[in-house]
Amino acid sequence: MRKLIISILLIMPLCLVIAEEDVNSVTSISKARIDNVVKLLRENKADKQTRNKKVIEMVEKAFDFNQMAKLSLGKKYWKQMNKDQRKEFITLFVKRLKESYLEKLDLYSNEDIIVQPAKQVKKNRMEILTYLVGEDNKREMNYKFYRSKKGWQVYDVVIFGVSVVQTNRSQIAGFLKERSIEDLLERMRTLGEL
Amino acid sequence: MNKDIHQKLDYFKVLRKTFFFLCPVILFVFISFRVSLVLAQTELSEITHDTEDEDFGDDFDDEYSNTDEEIFDPLCSYNRIMTGFNDGFVTYVLLPVAEGYSWVVPERIRRGTSSFFKNLFFPVRFANNVLQIKFKNAGEETIRFTVNSTIGILGFWDPAYKWFDLQAHEEDFGQTLGYYGVGSGFHIVLPFYGPSNLRDCVGLLPDHFLQPVGPDKPIGQLDNDIQELAVESFVILNRNSLRLREYKSFKKDAVDLYPFFREVYEQRRVKQIKE
Repeated sequence: MRKLIISILLIMPLCLVIAEEDVNSVTSISKARIDNVVKLLRENKADKQTRNKKVIEMVEKAFDFNQMAKLSLGKKYWKQMNKDQRKEFITLFVKRLKESYLEKLDLYSNEDIIVQPAKQVKKNRMEILTYLVGEDNKREMNYKFYRSKKGWQVYDVVIFGVSVVQTNRSQIAGFLKERSIEDLLERMRTLGEL
Repeated sequence: MNKDIHQKLDYFKVLRKTFFFLCPVILFVFISFRVSLVLAQTELSEITHDTEDEDFGDDFDDEYSNTDEEIFDPLCSYNRIMTGFNDGFVTYVLLPVAEGYSWVVPERIRRGTSSFFKNLFFPVRFANNVLQIKFKNAGEETIRFTVNSTIGILGFWDPAYKWFDLQAHEEDFGQTLGYYGVGSGFHIVLPFYGPSNLRDCVGLLPDHFLQPVGPDKPIGQLDNDIQELAVESFVILNRNSLRLREYKSFKKDAVDLYPFFREVYEQRRVKQIKE
């Protein structure tokens, strides 16, 4: 009888990943990453270049910079670009995103960061709300995740209510209304920033 | 009879044996199926890695605004000029003065001053919270005002937040109008105040009457407009001294300064109205 039960249990299909496991693992991984970055920022020992390099290494897997670049461009203009232009755009834009991100890190001044557990808002979307606890207020930073081929990755950050992707999107759209794609690429090449 | 039972037992034995034989087989088949799925997926993603850049990812459409949408912006040229003016003013006048001010006045005192003025603007926050039927928030604002004005020594200190974790609920009349569904209207850039929109501009008026600093107010006791202007300038200066680096840093993300500030302002307002 016991053998029967055991074998029935063995036959049962292996569990597919339950959604709840996902939420928990994303929360704990993200919290660990944030803690590591904060620790690095607080240490302040190494020079900026080394520190920045380390931070990018830490967050590279979490952020889907490519997807952020594509979303900032918008489908309409993406379709208008040829393969080389797309490649160049992504390279330049991702470089700019990383620089912008590192620049913001310089604004950090020892605030505490509270990380809320991840919330699954849709089948393929999760959000993690974090708070920057300042001297006289708490400010929100919301990380939006989607399920990519490489697992859950960040595709947008909403800083104090302002979405990075949305802001870049309207800016690029505004630029391309009056100028061409080549102009955009040229601008990104020469200035190193938009 | 016995033969029947024996037969049945034998039959059952065979069945059991077959069953136990099948278990590992089924298990094996299942596991290999899963493994091959995973391998296939990895292979697929390797193949598509080159074309990954071609694939856009279709399900983000409902999350971001359509890039084709035309923003109604009748005051565009004026706004651009005013943005340039404000930016020049901030970069070449306000920030340097604030930097000097920061250098002279320690941060703690500046925070205290900021806290003092923030406390003074309680009537504006209270009224607008009530108008938006946010009674709990209005209540918390009242507690904050009472605690900070007394224990916090007229508001120079903020024990309401530091001890009781009561945050200020920043509401203004523009947000109240937005709460009741008034659209933002077109964008207007005000001199010195910065970005605003039609609704929020209109909303400045009622709040102005509730502000405690002015010529005919009890706290202000100010004799003339120049003094009022001086006080208001001081408040702005003090507040900005605490935000020097932020302005410069965020500005670097702009392609085009005016649309950038407009976009950031409107997104912030939407969030503030929701809260």
